[in-house]
Amino acid sequence: MQAEEPAPPAFETDFWKDANLRKVWDEIVPGEPRNTLPYLLTFEAIALFCKAVGETNPLYLDESAAKAGPYGGLIAPPSIHILLMFACTPADDWMRSPGTINAGQSWSYNIPARPGDTITLQARALDKFIRRERLFVVHDNVFFNQHDEVICSGRGQTIRPM
Amino acid sequence: MTVTFDNLRAGDTIIGPSFAVSRESIRLFCDASLDYNPLHLDDAYMKGNFGKTSFGGIIMHGMNNFGLITRMLTDWAMPSGAIHRRLETRWVKPVKPGDTIRPSGIIKTKQVTSKSRWVLIDVIVQNQRDEPVATGEAMVEFPVLAKAG
Repeated sequence: MQAEEPAPPAFETDFWKDANLRKVWDEIVPGEPRNTLPYLLTFEAIALFCKAVGETNPLYLDESAAKAGPYGGLIAPPSIHILLMFACTPADDWMRSPGTINAGQSWSYNIPARPGDTITLQARALDKFIRRERLFVVHDNVFFNQHDEVICSGRGQTIRPM
Repeated sequence: MTVTFDNLRAGDTIIGPSFAVSRESIRLFCDASLDYNPLHLDDAYMKGNFGKTSFGGIIMHGMNNFGLITRMLTDWAMPSGAIHRRLETRWVKPVKPGDTIRPSGIIKTKQVTSKSRWVLIDVIVQNQRDEPVATGEAMVEFPVLAKAG
């Protein structure tokens, strides 16, 4: 039997590396799924994310308090999809192209992600257009847990580097 | 006073804590989000032009605003058994090291649906000059029977 383990490859922090492998605006096909990777969400990753945005909520950080709380255990803040977007996509994903500018996003939240969840992503470009000489791509994304329950869904626009 | 669906009024405000932006806070956000776009790391790169935009130096992740708004909303909603359900944001102005930003919200309207109750909130993040850097709308659910969703 093969255990289904999300491989934890070292995350490449140099976004210039592999930049030539990523699709430019002309090559992005709206409707075409993006390649994604399952990701094991850990307490440590949640704690680091909380530190970066100043979150101190015990539901995210204090196991005994979280157990007594409304979710019966630790959860991640809703905004954890900010991390999941990069954690669940490979190095050649076009969202990583240097100079990609986020022009706004909207997210809907169903159930919280929890430490220990194996998160999967279904994602694609949904649309692309040109406005005021800028190249836009609309992306849509749905994150699931290991029970195929929707955690959150969101869409956004990026301005592509030229 | 604990916030309830019934005692909320249009125009009520929510104020989040202020956040000091530094090169270190931006770097920490890179590590926490795995977003290492050179927009947030590389001053030399940021001296260049981006189509019609020029930044002059590294900028904070737009999604850092999103994280601060989320924190404000969940800290406000959770003690009342309410659930943060949606957030939409737009970035209005770049945020740079040395800026201090603060999220706030204003209750826009309430809506009762067949199975639940909703509060719509206009949100904004402003810098130390009270300039908007991000704007958006949020939706918080106040379940009829207080329960976590």
